[in-house]
Amino acid sequence: MSIFKNLYNYRELLKTNVKKDIRGRYKGSFLGILWSFLNPLLQVVVYWIVFPYLFGRGVTGENYLIYLITGIIPWTFFMTSVNMGTSSIKANGGIIKKVYFPREIIPLSQVLSGIVNFLISCLIIIIFCIGTGTGLSYHVIAVFPILIVQSLLTLGIVLILSAVDVYVQDIENIVAFILNMLMYGTPIIYHLSQFSASSAGILYTLITINPLTTIIGSYRNAFMYHQWPDFKSLGLVFVFSLVVLGIGYMIFKKLEKGFAEEL
Amino acid sequence: MDKTNAIEVRNMSKQFKVEYDKANTLKTKLIFWNRKKPEFHQVLNNINLNIKKGETVALIGVNGSGKSTLLKLMTKIIYPTKGTIETDGKLTSLLELGAGFHPDFTGRENIYFNASIFGLTRKEIDARIDDIIEFSELGEFIDNPIRTYSSGMYMRLAFSVAINVDAEILLIDEILAVGDQHFQEKCYNKLRELRDSNKTIVIVTHSLEVVKDLCTRVIWIYKGQLRLDGDPTYVVDEYLEQVAQDHKQERQKNIESGKQKSKAVVYIDSPRDISKVDATDQQHLFKGWQISDSDDATIHFYLDGNPMDIKVDRTYRKDVYDAYFDHYVGFMDVNTIGWQFQYDLTTLEKGKHKFKVECKEKECILASKEIEFENV
Repeated sequence: MSIFKNLYNYRELLKTNVKKDIRGRYKGSFLGILWSFLNPLLQVVVYWIVFPYLFGRGVTGENYLIYLITGIIPWTFFMTSVNMGTSSIKANGGIIKKVYFPREIIPLSQVLSGIVNFLISCLIIIIFCIGTGTGLSYHVIAVFPILIVQSLLTLGIVLILSAVDVYVQDIENIVAFILNMLMYGTPIIYHLSQFSASSAGILYTLITINPLTTIIGSYRNAFMYHQWPDFKSLGLVFVFSLVVLGIGYMIFKKLEKGFAEEL
Repeated sequence: MDKTNAIEVRNMSKQFKVEYDKANTLKTKLIFWNRKKPEFHQVLNNINLNIKKGETVALIGVNGSGKSTLLKLMTKIIYPTKGTIETDGKLTSLLELGAGFHPDFTGRENIYFNASIFGLTRKEIDARIDDIIEFSELGEFIDNPIRTYSSGMYMRLAFSVAINVDAEILLIDEILAVGDQHFQEKCYNKLRELRDSNKTIVIVTHSLEVVKDLCTRVIWIYKGQLRLDGDPTYVVDEYLEQVAQDHKQERQKNIESGKQKSKAVVYIDSPRDISKVDATDQQHLFKGWQISDSDDATIHFYLDGNPMDIKVDRTYRKDVYDAYFDHYVGFMDVNTIGWQFQYDLTTLEKGKHKFKVECKEKECILASKEIEFENV
């Protein structure tokens, strides 16, 4: 309980940190905060143009634009949070060495600013859904429980990586590589059905047990297919996320005692 | 933990790992995984301490004695290797001023950033912001970005935030050298006010004046251990004696091994350089001071290049003693720093004369000072 009390006492710090994160990231550029949304959109445009040429219209399926947007925007949230989160403790070394505050505020505010960005990006998804005639249904409210599951998972991962990064600097490079792989290990730009269970074998299994596959599939159900997510597999991912978060918190608490000395 | 204690330290030791090259990459960690155990540097050794609520305590000790480390341990920036440190009450540490300041934001916005790091909520900051701005004396500049501030303004703002946080326990590390005389005085007044309002203050400082003036108790840390703990006057006195002794030993060792040469300073207060003196004065006062870290140092006076045959009195010079305390402690006797003698100017021809003071160690001149005066 003391975790929550401590965080509650420092809520103003959390708030200013999130604000600084969101406003500060693109400070000085002309488009400013717009870049947070422009980046994934430009990525979508690239895939949207290139992939149908490579694989043909039949393979990419109908409504590929919406398919891409509903995949890339949640993925951007995950990727940015993990990327920025991993180096967050090191980046804040200056104040960690000088002032006491609950250290978990730093990775937490990274994930929170990711959530804020994601929620704003959801407006873009909705605009595209309506604009392309895909439409919206009440199923869209499922986005919130899905977002909670994804945020918990992301926070757990960020807690582990940010703490370990202080001690082993190579983590940042390893993370960059794994994130790159993971993007192709998650059905973001392709359909899972493009793999057949028999021919892809172990690769197929890996992609299906990837929790992000479930999460992104659930978002697509909510935004694009107007269905409820598969609550059973989402529930499993939820449990998995809680376990990761628990382990992450334990590792973080163990390692945080050496932060000021290692940095 | 005892209810009347603000800070409790029990059997506490702290080691730092000594890393010659930081084997921080995965590669070196994998290759050298069985490398022999790293060396440890023992900074604090088995400290036991109670600091009661409402006490104002100074930690003193020479550089590297571990007093700042102890303060960092109290704030929970670092953690003890052995033993425990417990604190009771809202704690603020002023180890570093201006933590979390962002140069592109205005002074007012930065008050919010900085205060939030100290754990204040928006409401609490709103309630204090006028006090903070008033204390900082920044006036209209408060709404300018702080990158436009002078360093003095920056420090004033930072200190104003820190001191207005309203903590029950305040830990301060050698940061009171802020701004001009006027602002420093204000800071000390504020600290006195906090002390009298029953806050617990722990302060690390080298300024023994501050210690005697502000604190009710002094803890002396010597080579990582608690040496003395008690009334300021007594502890400071013992501390000074030890510092003088250590300093002298080290100096002598260095001089013997040839690493360091003896040094000295001489000065002539009167007559001033290129001044005119009254030729009819039969008892004109020549005075100045001389210090040296050599026991064999002697002082010599010359007039127009000829040694003078005079009787010199040694005088008490507290001002010089304080100014050179850091460098000459252990070699100075405050009662014999100054020199003075009277000279009959009527025996001197009118016109320009040169007066010279030399401090010698055997035949080697350590320091000299020469002035010119005109006998009219």
